[in-house]
Amino acid sequence: MRAGLLRTSLLPGLTLANPVLSASGCYNHGVEGARFGDVKRLGALVTKTVTPRPRAGNPPPRLWETSAGMLNSIGLENPGVERFLAEEMPRALELGPPVILNVGGESLEEFEQVTERVQDCGAVALEVNLSCPNVQGGQLPFATSPAACEEVVGRVRRVSRLPFFVKLSPNTHLVADVARAAASAGADGLTLINTLHGRGIDWRRRRPCLAEGSGGLSGPAIKPVALHFVALVRAAVRLPILGVGGIATAEDVCEFLVAGASAVQVGTAHFLDPLCGVHIVEELEELLVAEGESIDNLSSLEQ
Amino acid sequence: MQTRLHKVLRVEGLTGASYVLWLEGPFSAEIAPGQFAMLRTGSDWPVLLPRPFSYFDVSAAGTAASFFGKAIGPGTRALAAVRVGDEVSVSGPLGGGFPAPADGEPEPVCIAGGVGLAPFLLWTKQRATTVLYGGANREAIVAMESFPGQTTFHVATDDGSLGFHGNVLELYRSLVAAGEVDQRAPVYCCGPDPMMEAVAADCAERGVACRVSLETYMACGYGVCNGCSVAVEPAERFGGKPWARCCIHGPVFDAAELKW
Ligand SMILES: Cc1cc2nc3c(=O)[nH]c(=O)nc-3n(C[C@H](O)[C@H](O)[C@H](O)COP(=O)(O)OP(=O)(O)OC[C@H]3O[C@@H](n4cnc5c(N)ncnc54)[C@H](O)[C@@H]3O)c2cc1C
Ligand SMILES: Cc1cc2nc3c(=O)[nH]c(=O)nc-3n(C[C@H](O)[C@H](O)[C@H](O)COP(=O)(O)O)c2cc1C
Ligand code: FES
Repeated sequence: MRAGLLRTSLLPGLTLANPVLSASGCYNHGVEGARFGDVKRLGALVTKTVTPRPRAGNPPPRLWETSAGMLNSIGLENPGVERFLAEEMPRALELGPPVILNVGGESLEEFEQVTERVQDCGAVALEVNLSCPNVQGGQLPFATSPAACEEVVGRVRRVSRLPFFVKLSPNTHLVADVARAAASAGADGLTLINTLHGRGIDWRRRRPCLAEGSGGLSGPAIKPVALHFVALVRAAVRLPILGVGGIATAEDVCEFLVAGASAVQVGTAHFLDPLCGVHIVEELEELLVAEGESIDNLSSLEQ
Repeated sequence: MQTRLHKVLRVEGLTGASYVLWLEGPFSAEIAPGQFAMLRTGSDWPVLLPRPFSYFDVSAAGTAASFFGKAIGPGTRALAAVRVGDEVSVSGPLGGGFPAPADGEPEPVCIAGGVGLAPFLLWTKQRATTVLYGGANREAIVAMESFPGQTTFHVATDDGSLGFHGNVLELYRSLVAAGEVDQRAPVYCCGPDPMMEAVAADCAERGVACRVSLETYMACGYGVCNGCSVAVEPAERFGGKPWARCCIHGPVFDAAELKW
């Protein structure tokens, strides 16, 4: 295999060995996957959203399988930033791939606070999660209003020396406007998409399948939606995009790169195969060699 | 831990939609009773997520392993329908098993309901054990012949078609009353939730230790999705949270840790 075939230049000063990353909340911090094999070959690890204070998350059941997908209502369960930095971040850093740290909050102050706190933790970049559908009653205040997005991204920009991606939601008709707002407020890149609002109904018991009522839909079922929003935002904004939603194979990766993503993240597919991301890297290399293609050919900001 | 495809060696169909699925190794030879794996068929898997199964049997040196299942939905039906030579994807071993009793503690008595029998074969291969096994009817009482001769079985069926007429908790109480089961013996239990809850409540009342293996719905099985939470008394072992992850902290819990 040709060395460097998959090299992906993501941001000025940030080049990854390949464009296949783990998706936040779907691979914890990489340590569990590493028990099955070597995860060094992942392009980067994206950690589960961490918030200023610990969050217990939502009551069970939190999962419901659907046709070619699943609903979750985890509710950003996490140990809080202090415990995360002390106990989990060092273990994530030991695994090898660069770490992109995902941060979240419920207010401007919380986003600012957590961003400030993680500046020197060893992450190469941040991902700012504005789009978890399982908190704040699914309102998504920062991901559905361009003005609110601009304000929170501006606050994060002021305190962040690290480059950051802003993770957006598909649950609005204003995705392109919200993306423009994030760009004008100083985001270095965008991540698309977080999960779609969804609901399962147990009609016999007259109640929703998830304890919270609604949840977020992920998996192969949402791939066309994710591809659509990547292409839409690509046309609206000149920032690197991390594409995510239903990716499970090297073919999927190529589709996202052609749609306009610079790199991709693997989420739900990691539940089926703990080494899915690593397997995709290997497959992608073979696929590109076999087809005489290259990453630069598929994805280029100048396209 | 490993994740790989295994060739199907044999599928033994049993009554009551149950089956034993034998897969070719390599498997870890160190699998503890109560540990589980995430399974899906290598092709034509009808659903998205893999399904958790307790290891039933593991042959010496891990050259083969079996899983004891009951076809109740699309995933368990697809696994029942595989043929010799097909492949099944197995990720495991996952979770923690039933602990060996402390020195001087009486031998645990195992209480199983339906496919909840699965984790106890490996246990009985290590120690002579009394197993109380309950099911709806005679058809549901299967796979006992797989157990080593040193196992003492007591069977209960809801309809009385085999063994004791009643549920497995009633059987347990009657055996304790008759002095056939040590009343101080810790109870290891696996079966449907309502059964485990009733057994745990009975043990709590009498001050007897009880460990249960939960069959919580799971997505990943290895600790990354945070979807398999079960309500617990907050403890440091659970990061001080009111939930534990069944796949990592369990599936075997001390019943006193759980909020039913
Ligand atoms: C640690 C562990 C070990 C297990 N070991 C064994 C074993 O050795 N042998 C065995 O046969 N089974 C075992 N199980 C149970 C087995 O995993 C399930 O029966 C299987 O996942 C069902 O899959 P299915 O596709 O056939 O049915 P599904 O259609 O997925 O589900 C069957 C039933 O589960 C219910 N259900 C579905 N989703 C949820 C949810 N989110 N919350 C609550 N209930 C839900 C459905 O309503 C339905 O009644 C184990 C489970 C666990 C967690
Ligand atoms: C169980 C689960 C937990 C998730 N947790 C987070 C999270 O903490 N932060 C976040 O930004 N996204 C989270 N996501 C969203 C994923 O990162 C991803 O955007 C989405 O699932 C779509 O990708 P997929 O189809 O590959 O899973 C979660 C998704 C799932 C399924
Ligand atoms: S099943 Fe995913 S964390 Fe337990």
